[in-house]
Amino acid sequence: MRILLVEDDAVLADSTARALRSQGWVVDCTARGEPVPISLREDRYDLLILDIGLAGIDGFETLRRVRGQGSPIPVLVLTARDGVEDRVRGLEGGADDYLVKPFALSELIARARALVRRSQARFSNELRMAALRMDLDARRAFINEESLALSAREWEVLSFMLARVGKVIAKEQIVSASNGWDHSTTDNAVEVCISRLRAKIEPAGINVRTVRGFGYLLEEQDARRSA
Amino acid sequence: MSAAPQASARRREPLSIKQRLLLWLVLPLLVTAPSGGLVLYTLVHDATAKWLDQGLGDTVQAIGNYIRTHDGEVIFEVSQQTDRALRFDRLDRIYYVVLAPGGQVVAGDAQLADYRFTLRPGEWRVQDDVVGVEPVRLISLGVACGAPGNVCQVRVAETIYKRTQLRRELLLGVSGVMFVLAALIVLAGWIAIRQGLRPIAAISDELERRDLDRLEPIGAWVPVEMAPLREAFNRLFERLQRAARSQQDFISNAAHQLRTPLTSLRTDIELALLEPHDPGLEPLLQRLKSGVERSARLAQQMLSLARSEAAQLHIEPPRRVDLRELVAQSAEDWVPRALRAGIDLGFELAPAAVTGQQFLLHELVENLVHNALAYAGEGAGVTVRTRSDARHAVVEVEDTGPGIPAAERDRMFERFQRGAQPQGSGSGLGLAIARDIARQHGGELGMHDGVHGRGLMVRLTLPLAA
Repeated sequence: MRILLVEDDAVLADSTARALRSQGWVVDCTARGEPVPISLREDRYDLLILDIGLAGIDGFETLRRVRGQGSPIPVLVLTARDGVEDRVRGLEGGADDYLVKPFALSELIARARALVRRSQARFSNELRMAALRMDLDARRAFINEESLALSAREWEVLSFMLARVGKVIAKEQIVSASNGWDHSTTDNAVEVCISRLRAKIEPAGINVRTVRGFGYLLEEQDARRSA
Repeated sequence: MSAAPQASARRREPLSIKQRLLLWLVLPLLVTAPSGGLVLYTLVHDATAKWLDQGLGDTVQAIGNYIRTHDGEVIFEVSQQTDRALRFDRLDRIYYVVLAPGGQVVAGDAQLADYRFTLRPGEWRVQDDVVGVEPVRLISLGVACGAPGNVCQVRVAETIYKRTQLRRELLLGVSGVMFVLAALIVLAGWIAIRQGLRPIAAISDELERRDLDRLEPIGAWVPVEMAPLREAFNRLFERLQRAARSQQDFISNAAHQLRTPLTSLRTDIELALLEPHDPGLEPLLQRLKSGVERSARLAQQMLSLARSEAAQLHIEPPRRVDLRELVAQSAEDWVPRALRAGIDLGFELAPAAVTGQQFLLHELVENLVHNALAYAGEGAGVTVRTRSDARHAVVEVEDTGPGIPAAERDRMFERFQRGAQPQGSGSGLGLAIARDIARQHGGELGMHDGVHGRGLMVRLTLPLAA
């Protein structure tokens, strides 16, 4: 996996790059936003990690230019500002995710991985996590090449959740993501669906963690230990 | 030791403007009113007395007209009727006497003959005198009679009842008029002073309402004399506001600038923890990590503080914020932190809309959740609740951790105050900031026992949005 890191603080750029490389990823660094659109055209990157506070054009402007040339690359924005307005501006400007400094390294790695996974799913039309694989074209799911039977609703819910690995998913989001459900769907129906799914994907090494009163979070069972 | 208070007690309070103006009005009045009264009295009295003397003089003249001489002898003959007419006065008694050139009484009241003086013909003499025990006004006239060089005298005396009465009435009248006049002047002056000073009171009222967070220029109308004062104040406010803002900017910038190096420090420590390392270094690295986290949190809170103060300067207008949404949006950030801390984080969310600054309320709730995650301890449960009743929106953050003894709770809201056992990544500013923000929004923040008698529940109560 190849990552372009745009960060103008040399020390932070160095340690972030080392951290990402420790995951076996290839990292290129630049301190300025201006050359980013050209770099993205010339080389194939899987992820752009972009600091907002840059000398010269700032992260927002860089992002605007990147999206302006039609690049679909997933973008993780780093910022020293945590204003809600900044967050909204970043996400509306085309960022896929947002991390506020100082962030935990594990958080950065998890977000980066989730972003790349989502974008790869878009290209390959395939979602993967641990031993689970969902072929979106064929609408079929596998655990270690063994077919996994899912109802239409379970398929919708699981694919929605798998595309958001690493994020907490609210029950309302699950309801609105599924065609057959409307706003009158009870939490109970969601819970029943999730508990069935939980049993089905447990063998793949995936744990569905319940966030009480809120929603769910997909975790790889072994990844949880290391985190 | 006691000299200072005594000295200050002895020092007279300087006079107020009102007192000063009144003093300068009353002092001249104290001089002018009596002297004006005196002048008026004298003028009226002298004029009236002159007319009274004139009347008496007429009587003298009339008596003089009755004097005849016959063979060198002075003769004065009047009928009883004439005598009564000459002596007639409604208020005073009138005496008269006619004296021969030798001083012998020709006719009339002999008592008046006692005074020895000579007069030339046609000469008047006016004097105050006494007849018996009665004070009188005595007017004498020399009248030529008989041989040339012989001068008779006609003397008329009138008791002074009228004159005394006149003086008394004049005195009463003039002093009464002067007193009323002075009183009216003082009253009018007092009203004028009050009216004139009213703009000062208005401007004081306005100044009273100014504060570091309310420095808008004084808009009240002021008279032209006070315009420079108002302008001076407004310029001062402008400078103060600029200073306050640049201080905000400085803190805000400093906090931002701190974050980047702190991030790289933290990343390096985490890298060291990930890479193979001497197990003996592990506690040190963990301590370093939590130290960095605490510094980062402190920077964050200084930033919040600066922004919270900026909010008081009305830089950002308040908006409607649903605390349920706010919590739901932050859940994504909190859940991974709870997982790392081994805490079961749960939510019970119902709508709770308030009016305020979203970023401040976010910081407030963030602080409460941060504390719960930092201090509840591994294996504990933390529940974040939002709800509302008829008048309040409520946020509760409850944990099943060790809690805080009731006696220590109040102290926790002081700045830079941390629990008895310093642990976790608290900066000691969090709760103080949280309470500041709650109060700014007209709400209250309190610590209670957990619902099941375990742990701690921090409850934020805010007025419900209209």
